[in-house]
Amino acid sequence: MFGRIFLYNFKAIIRNKYMVGWNFLFPIVLATVFYLGFGNLIKDDPDNFDTTEVGYVNTNQEDSSFETVLEELTKATDDNVAVLSLHKYDSKEKALKAMTSEDVFGFYVESSDGIETIVPKNGYHATIMNQIVREYENKKGVIESIAADHPENIEKAMDMVTENLSVMSEYDFGNNTSPYVQYFFALIAMSSLFSSWISTAILEGLCANMTEQGKRFECSPTSKLMAIVSGICSAIVLQAISNAVVVVYVQKILKINLGAPIWNIILITTLGSALGVSAGVLIGSFIKNQHLLIVVPLCFTMICSFFSGLMWHQIKQYVETICPIFNRLNPAALLVDCLYTRATYGKTTMYYQDITIMSCMVVGCLIISAFLLRRRKYVSL
Amino acid sequence: MNTNIVAIDNLVKRYGENVAVDHFSLHVQEGEILGLLGPNGSGKTTTINCLLSLLQYDKGTVTIFDKEMQPEAYDIKSQIGVVMQNVAVIDTLNVYENVDFFCGLYIRDKKLRKQYVEEALEFTGLTEYKKYKPKKLSGGLLRRLNIACGIAHKPKLIIFDEPTVAVDPQSRNAILEGIKKMNRDGATIIYTSHYMEEVEDLCTRVVIMDHGKNIANGTTTELKSSLMNRETIRINLPNKSEDIIKGLKEINHVYKIKEDGDDLVIKCDGGEHNLVHVLSYLTDNNIPFGHVSTELPTLNDVFLEITGKELRD
Repeated sequence: MFGRIFLYNFKAIIRNKYMVGWNFLFPIVLATVFYLGFGNLIKDDPDNFDTTEVGYVNTNQEDSSFETVLEELTKATDDNVAVLSLHKYDSKEKALKAMTSEDVFGFYVESSDGIETIVPKNGYHATIMNQIVREYENKKGVIESIAADHPENIEKAMDMVTENLSVMSEYDFGNNTSPYVQYFFALIAMSSLFSSWISTAILEGLCANMTEQGKRFECSPTSKLMAIVSGICSAIVLQAISNAVVVVYVQKILKINLGAPIWNIILITTLGSALGVSAGVLIGSFIKNQHLLIVVPLCFTMICSFFSGLMWHQIKQYVETICPIFNRLNPAALLVDCLYTRATYGKTTMYYQDITIMSCMVVGCLIISAFLLRRRKYVSL
Repeated sequence: MNTNIVAIDNLVKRYGENVAVDHFSLHVQEGEILGLLGPNGSGKTTTINCLLSLLQYDKGTVTIFDKEMQPEAYDIKSQIGVVMQNVAVIDTLNVYENVDFFCGLYIRDKKLRKQYVEEALEFTGLTEYKKYKPKKLSGGLLRRLNIACGIAHKPKLIIFDEPTVAVDPQSRNAILEGIKKMNRDGATIIYTSHYMEEVEDLCTRVVIMDHGKNIANGTTTELKSSLMNRETIRINLPNKSEDIIKGLKEINHVYKIKEDGDDLVIKCDGGEHNLVHVLSYLTDNNIPFGHVSTELPTLNDVFLEITGKELRD
């Protein structure tokens, strides 16, 4: 009986075009939109860090601290490959020719008017080049002072610049995870919470006070609890498949490195699916109105996703500073946090803490729902 | 001696101040087709929901197959089939899958279930539509699918809650014939409707319900015989006038006259030779008239007599 209900629920959901649209296609479309929006900032695998080929023209004909900074950035370290590969030219025309022939991505022209950055197009390399100039401009006074008074400490001054290059630090943070990847984590979290729709739809078919199908079911000699558990399992499996498709699409097709082994991410998202499904069951056990059963899971998913950083990745940090408990209770934030922690720091205490909180939430939601949904007589239908 | 399959005693169901079912009692015997007749809002569906243990009730007892009906009385539920008032099928499953799914809630044996599903499809004339999704079916076929889902497991007691609402006459006849066949095959049937013609045609016994109360109970013949001393005379009278109607009303035992197009419908209460008296009045006053007929009481007359209103008011 369990297997039959599981199978028929599975069939019924997979043939529901709204479910397929929202749970399977929408996350893929959104992932593609994210990719087109800022994928170039993160798409390279951090393990294959791509050194930027840069040209440099100094029209001042005197020693430049900026040139020193650039030279420092050409040095590879034990942990990271060099940020830049520097090519010096004696005229802007030669540098332009090198850029046209793609020997360099872009070039700097340093003159008495300042530093000009010339790039052929936007993208990751252009961002790196612009950010270097921005950081240099900010630290210029300090560097020049050190170069003049304590030339022996110029290397430390260079470190100060490179450490503060935000693009570099973002790109190379911890285990090489970009904060932009958080958008994809938030997307996966949203996709997981979409499963709350599946579980409310399944519940509708099992409760006499919701639909005629539910009446028919409650007139049958089949255990309601068993049917709900079976429905929950089919919802989790479906959503886990959907999430796995999204993860594989992001990592393998869009080439966005999510920073952890793919099986590990899929396991975490499966827990996220269980969380979404159990949240949906809890919502369904409180709400009887069919229209609200669509609106409430939608609002729940979108609000949780927003606060997990789907639209602005720093919102989660902002919430953390003003109301950290909200991040501990927001299932989407927990899932994003868990994925980010796993990708950035590995299996730390925080990672296991997130897993534990999510597991407890799943169990808690299901216990409360089981109590509310047990077979009973209704006051009204 | 027949045994009670269903016994509802003194059932009361309130929605706040509103009493939906008011000390209602009903006993259904094995092999019966019991018609539960009443206007919309009379409490029929509420009674059925209480009977099926879907609704909490305030007072009374419900026993089915001599056992108290409870939400978890699976042994009782396994012998009941329910055809809901509204179509209760899964839109994304096809006809066969729908019947198989709902039959599977009762029948676990795969081979037996396959046989039952195919029999139910054949019985409802849906075999050729078994690959169709419900949305592709006409209203009548959808109703038949609703019935197939409710009866595929061959229950001993089948409850039909207004199964012919919004059904075309052809499908309605097919449904009614199917119900008679199920009864001949041994099923006891409770049939709720506000269509008296269906109930008259189908049911061996009728319970009339209004305002949640059991206001009459008996076979159709018994109920109508209570009005047997009443007579309805229909006369085609194109040139009727107030004076003629006034004159007819003065005839002994005539208690009500209603105009119906060119006809006059004259209700007589008891007495003998009412038709003769009416015709004498017309001929004596040289009033021309056409076709004349007398009508036996219908269940609607019974309902009208008991409640003072038409069944479909």
